[in-house]
Amino acid sequence: ARAEGWDMPTAYPASNYHTETAVAFAACVKGATAGKFDITVHPNGALFKGNDIKRAVQTGQAPIGERLISAHANENPLFGVDSIPFLASSFEASEKLWKAALPELEKLLASQNLVYVYAVPWPPQGLYTKKAVNSVADLKGVKFRSYSVATARIAELSGMIPVQIEAADLSQALATGVADSFISSGSTGFDVKAWEYMTHFYTVDAWLPRNVIFANKDSFDKLSASEKAAVKTCGDTAAASGLAQAKALTQKYIDALAANKMTVSAPGAQLKSELDGYGKTMTGEWEAKAGAAGKAIVDAYSK
Amino acid sequence: MEQVEFAGLFLVVLFFLLGTGVWVGLALVGVAFVGMALFTARPVGDAMITAMWSSASSWSLTALPLFIWMGEILFRTRLSEDMFKGLAPWMARLPGGLLHTNIVGCTIFAAVSGSSAATLTTVGKMTVPELKKRGYPERMVIGTLAGAATLGLMIPPSLTLIVYGVTINESITKLFMAGILPGLVLAAMFMAYLVIWAKLAKDYAPTPEPKISFAEKVAASRFLVPVILLIIAVIGSMYAGLATATEAAAIGVLGSLTLAALQGSLDAKSFLASLMGATRTSAMIALILCGAAFLSMAMGFTGLPRLLAEWIGSLGLSKFQLLMALLVFYIVLGCFLDGISSVVLTISIIEPMIRSVGIDVIWFGVFIVLVVEMAQITPPVGFNLFVMQGMTGHQMGFVAKAAFPMFLIMVAMVFVMILVPDLATWLPDHLTLAPG
Amino acid sequence: MAIARVFRFVLDGLYKTAAALAALSLFGVFAIIVAQMIARWSGQSLRGSTDYAGYLMAASSFLAFAAALNHGYHIRVTMLHSLLGRRGGRWAEIWAFGVGSVIATYIAWYACKTVWWSRKLGDLSQGLDATPLWIPQTAMAAGAILLALAFLDNWVRLVATGRHGVRAETSDQIPLE
Ligand code: NA
Ligand code: NA
Repeated sequence: ARAEGWDMPTAYPASNYHTETAVAFAACVKGATAGKFDITVHPNGALFKGNDIKRAVQTGQAPIGERLISAHANENPLFGVDSIPFLASSFEASEKLWKAALPELEKLLASQNLVYVYAVPWPPQGLYTKKAVNSVADLKGVKFRSYSVATARIAELSGMIPVQIEAADLSQALATGVADSFISSGSTGFDVKAWEYMTHFYTVDAWLPRNVIFANKDSFDKLSASEKAAVKTCGDTAAASGLAQAKALTQKYIDALAANKMTVSAPGAQLKSELDGYGKTMTGEWEAKAGAAGKAIVDAYSK
Repeated sequence: MEQVEFAGLFLVVLFFLLGTGVWVGLALVGVAFVGMALFTARPVGDAMITAMWSSASSWSLTALPLFIWMGEILFRTRLSEDMFKGLAPWMARLPGGLLHTNIVGCTIFAAVSGSSAATLTTVGKMTVPELKKRGYPERMVIGTLAGAATLGLMIPPSLTLIVYGVTINESITKLFMAGILPGLVLAAMFMAYLVIWAKLAKDYAPTPEPKISFAEKVAASRFLVPVILLIIAVIGSMYAGLATATEAAAIGVLGSLTLAALQGSLDAKSFLASLMGATRTSAMIALILCGAAFLSMAMGFTGLPRLLAEWIGSLGLSKFQLLMALLVFYIVLGCFLDGISSVVLTISIIEPMIRSVGIDVIWFGVFIVLVVEMAQITPPVGFNLFVMQGMTGHQMGFVAKAAFPMFLIMVAMVFVMILVPDLATWLPDHLTLAPG
Repeated sequence: MAIARVFRFVLDGLYKTAAALAALSLFGVFAIIVAQMIARWSGQSLRGSTDYAGYLMAASSFLAFAAALNHGYHIRVTMLHSLLGRRGGRWAEIWAFGVGSVIATYIAWYACKTVWWSRKLGDLSQGLDATPLWIPQTAMAAGAILLALAFLDNWVRLVATGRHGVRAETSDQIPLE
């Protein structure tokens, strides 16, 4: 019975809004095909760990899956377009950037045997610290959790000490001071209960990374025309409702951090202009890596 | 009842492969293969390797071989003798005698290590030879050790609690604090059982320890200094922010190498022997973990744990009934899966159920660790049984029988926790870490 | 017979070399973690150290599989074998080593396939190390092949001579009885 349906591995808990969006997407597809086409969401990394999901879908081990796409920036800089620090730092800007990048990304995914279905952004990334930070000078020497090329580069530019902490060690590392600072969305800070270890949250809105939902091309091609249409239409609906969710939750999480006695504020003028400077530097570096396609995306976005 | 057919099939194939002498890790691969090949249209072999690679190369697992190596080094130092010289005078007069060192040793070492397999090998390497020498019944040596090693996951740090906390978005710090008191109570219950057993048993006739005065006992405690220093080094490095929970294992290796060097008990030859022994033991556990990772994935594809959990959810049970149902559920699941997989595969279904009947999720974290850890000492798939079997060369049936009383004590502990929920909730409610 | 001796020599040499590499890898895991801590204490960082530790751990496990089998570390239930008596026990052993050979070969096949695909797809690690994954996965494939070889080796010896080469060492690990 199960062979006719699709299994959809995702890396986040069932209560996360990305998972809820995926579950709604699955229900939508089922409804649109009169109950004939069933997608089962497997949250929590229970089927495949986050790291393995893209490869699993590429090679047909799973017919569809969800992945934080910028995690694959090592493979191709285009996958990191949504995570260039301080380039697109609002929902509107992020949407515009994503629209500019989508044709190239769809092409790239197709070359990897993947069909783009939809994408949902995370809330903007903010800066968590254990002290007040007014300028980049205050960050010098701070132990900063770097988990990606971009976060390592930010540490390098600002003179912070990058420390590599894996997700499993994060809470203890924060609690005991192995790391003093990290960049993440309000939702992640809420999830790890950042207020138990951190005092300040700066809404620097560094970038809005996205989870992309993609299907295996061979599996997708085997669907009937009406099933394909259902996947695409429901994907569009999911993208819209996921975006609305992300916007609604952003404020909710910021309020929750404040309610737990964290000092929540926008970055001061000096810090902001210094960070924007890093943004220009890193955008340039990204364009150099991503080549003509990358430059075209940034140009289209900046217009 | 589709799920009954699934469960029946898994059981039959697993018992058949294990019963006919197929190696445990490979038997798990065999069952997973049958399950996936029959119930999904996915490419089985590719998915299998994905699961194996992901499990074998995971960072958080690096602590396991290092703790095992630490045990191998300590086994070659005078530390085990010394620990006995230090503990024996205090324990010798208790009914049950030095068997208590198994439980006390596991409790102490649980505060250092995040897994029960590492706790088991380290403490076992130190205590088993000494206890054997003194004529303690082997059944009790093995049983108390296999049972007490589950404290490795109750008393923080704990891999299972980390996984649970990350999955349901609860504070790991709170969960860690919640585990402390129930862990100590469970250790006390193990010790109480030993006392009662020693009073009743006919085959309990260990070589009596020499009688000594209180002053001599205190003097003998100096032998505990090295082991205490080692524990302070490992725990201290974690709480002082010098090491992450995973890195602390390397501190343990460094510490035991230093100890060995100071005692002059480790030459090049025994250093290599310790490294080789650790490599092979870790490989043995890694093969089982690879098989378990694949089985866990296959179960996910078949949807069996989900179906079972949904079925329990549909029964509309009261709080107590639900806990009883979950107790049975996780014991059954524990026949096939390790603790962490049981949690990961089912928690997204279980979490809303427990929230809806008003069960405290921090309390439930300790409950779930307790029930999935029971599964470590029940056949056919029970990691502590496997490790014990590898360590002593006894058949799994013998080890499982030896550990069964400990299993019953853990079941009793579930009821203690239900009757006195404060055991788990008091510490996290009254101690909160201040930021900074 | 000479050929059999050459085979014996080559195979045992392979198992031993792999086991030595496995031990070296485990030591490497330790060395990397210590280096990572020292670097952090002194305000430095080692890019990708946690990923390298993970690769070495996988290498250590897989490369030691065959040696662990030959030294009787991998565990199983042999109650049936003792119940069946000598003749029946031998058939049960042939069955167990046969099933072991099939499953280990299956694992080895797909381990090689995944290395090939990782290369073809240009699969890179997602960590700071950005390692092409086929490189660390090669150690996994080599270890898996060796485990399959060890099983087949023992199975052939069992069929031909009635004795397999697995020598349990549990009594050496801990002096029991
Ligand atoms: Na522990
Ligand atoms: Na079990």
